[in-house]
Amino acid sequence: MNTVHLYLRSMGMLLKSHLQYPASFIMQTLAQLVMEGGEMLAVILVIDRFESLKEWSGGNLFFFFGLMSVSFYITEFFGRGITGNFPSMVRSGQLDSLLLRPRGILTQVLCSGTDPRRITCIAVGVASLVMGSNLSDVSWSIPKVLVLAESILMSCLLILGLFMIECIFCIHSVKSVELVNALTYGGRSACQYPIDIYPKPLKILFSVVAPFALTMHVPAAYILGKSLYGWPVWTAFITPLSGAVVFFVMVMLFNRGIKFYRSTGS
Amino acid sequence: MSYIEVNNLRKTFTVRKKREKGKLFREKEIVEALQGISFVVEKGELVGYIGPNGAGKSTTVKILSGILTPESGEAKVGGMVPWKERKEYVKHIGVVFGQRSQLWWDVPILDSYSLLKDIYRISEKDYKGRLNELVEALQLEKLLRTPLRLLSLGQRMRAELCGSLLHRPELLFLDEPTIGLDAVSKLSLRDFLKWENKEHGTTIMLTTHDMEDIAELCSRVMVLGHGQKLFDGKLKDLLEKYDTVRNVTVKYDVEPICFGDDYEPNFPRGVKVTRKNGELRLTYSPNEIPTADMLAFLQSAGTINEMTLESENIDHLIAAMYKEMDL
Repeated sequence: MNTVHLYLRSMGMLLKSHLQYPASFIMQTLAQLVMEGGEMLAVILVIDRFESLKEWSGGNLFFFFGLMSVSFYITEFFGRGITGNFPSMVRSGQLDSLLLRPRGILTQVLCSGTDPRRITCIAVGVASLVMGSNLSDVSWSIPKVLVLAESILMSCLLILGLFMIECIFCIHSVKSVELVNALTYGGRSACQYPIDIYPKPLKILFSVVAPFALTMHVPAAYILGKSLYGWPVWTAFITPLSGAVVFFVMVMLFNRGIKFYRSTGS
Repeated sequence: MSYIEVNNLRKTFTVRKKREKGKLFREKEIVEALQGISFVVEKGELVGYIGPNGAGKSTTVKILSGILTPESGEAKVGGMVPWKERKEYVKHIGVVFGQRSQLWWDVPILDSYSLLKDIYRISEKDYKGRLNELVEALQLEKLLRTPLRLLSLGQRMRAELCGSLLHRPELLFLDEPTIGLDAVSKLSLRDFLKWENKEHGTTIMLTTHDMEDIAELCSRVMVLGHGQKLFDGKLKDLLEKYDTVRNVTVKYDVEPICFGDDYEPNFPRGVKVTRKNGELRLTYSPNEIPTADMLAFLQSAGTINEMTLESENIDHLIAAMYKEMDL
């Protein structure tokens, strides 16, 4: 309970810090809107040109896009410490001061960053979700709402977990490893479209290594009333849990990795 | 059992060099930051830890504060191994890095303190009492509502100290606390550290390059070089060993004739003399000529108008010592 309280207070303080520079904050938030709006425009153009991708209609595609945007930017909003700040914390030695406090490192890293500018990206995502669900005539029921919530939550954990790979490398090499971005940002770009449009290697990558397909596409297929790639209906509730699995494996590796931290000069 | 016990502590870093032309892999170099350091510190001691850049001072502090894990060796502080029981251990220590801030950059320092209160799980009552005490001792009242980024370096250092002492640590590490501070800030910082040490019995270990810090604060000094401990004891003893030069400036009413034209042959052996603006500057070693003899000699030569006698600047002594120890 105390940890949640600490997290909320830290967030409040970081927000205050961001608002110290109001003009910059507003400009950057609007810039994010343009950026994410542009991404959505790409989807609109694809739909305009092709009307459907395999068996997915235009509305379905908006739904997939929205699901990814909402999950990804909620993660960035609340988990900026891991998704963005960690490499520079290692390089600048700020991690040292976290190690000097009687709290878990991961808790403190999470408490050390937020990116409230992403609020506009989340808004675009929500708009896309609503649009997608309307265009696809989804009949909402309680299980579907629950699956959607589970899918978003688990996707957030998955994305956090993937970003933590970079953090773990960072502890060892001090420099950030861009390669991991193929999974995180690459995953975001690729998996805003349904997984079955991709060739086999990518399917394997995004369902085994970085299981976006399991946390997003399977439950989305269930919500949109499509067949679950030949799997029974109840799997829609189970597969998203893979996000939590990735997250907890990474937490374990992270805590192990931190023992090898070597700090930087004084 | 002593409060801090360090036994044969070793730490190495692997440094990857830039790849040389024509070679496939980068060469690795192993740097031994600490090569088996041992010492003990009693509770309530104020210990200075000096040595040239790269001697391993910060590494020792980082190991003893639980940030780094050593290769081998033992260290116990208050019965705990810093790097093994980090979370429990750091409740009892405070660390201030002179070149690194631990407070939040953009918010008023009072907000930082109140977040630290939550991080350390300090009770409301303890927090209030301790904060008031520290704010008064460090003269922070007027700064509490100012964001850290707007403070001057000296003010920031005071704010950092307050932040690192809120949880009443038994042990305080200071890594170059006076770096870049002006004279007034330095003095008030030293006064505060003395006060904290006396009032609460806080054990303080500080690394510094400022010898005045050591002379003013520390009852004991440890010298570190190339990852090894070279000296451990009183500053006075350390200086005596290297304090080998005295400078005398003397001015006579009328310059004595017995000095002749070229001075040095007429002085005791080993004295160097230069003449400038009617003043004589003499340099001698008290080991060769006792100071009393030197003074008697000068006095017998004529009527002295003005005279100063000083030992070499403390920084010169340390430089001489580093040189002799080949650092």
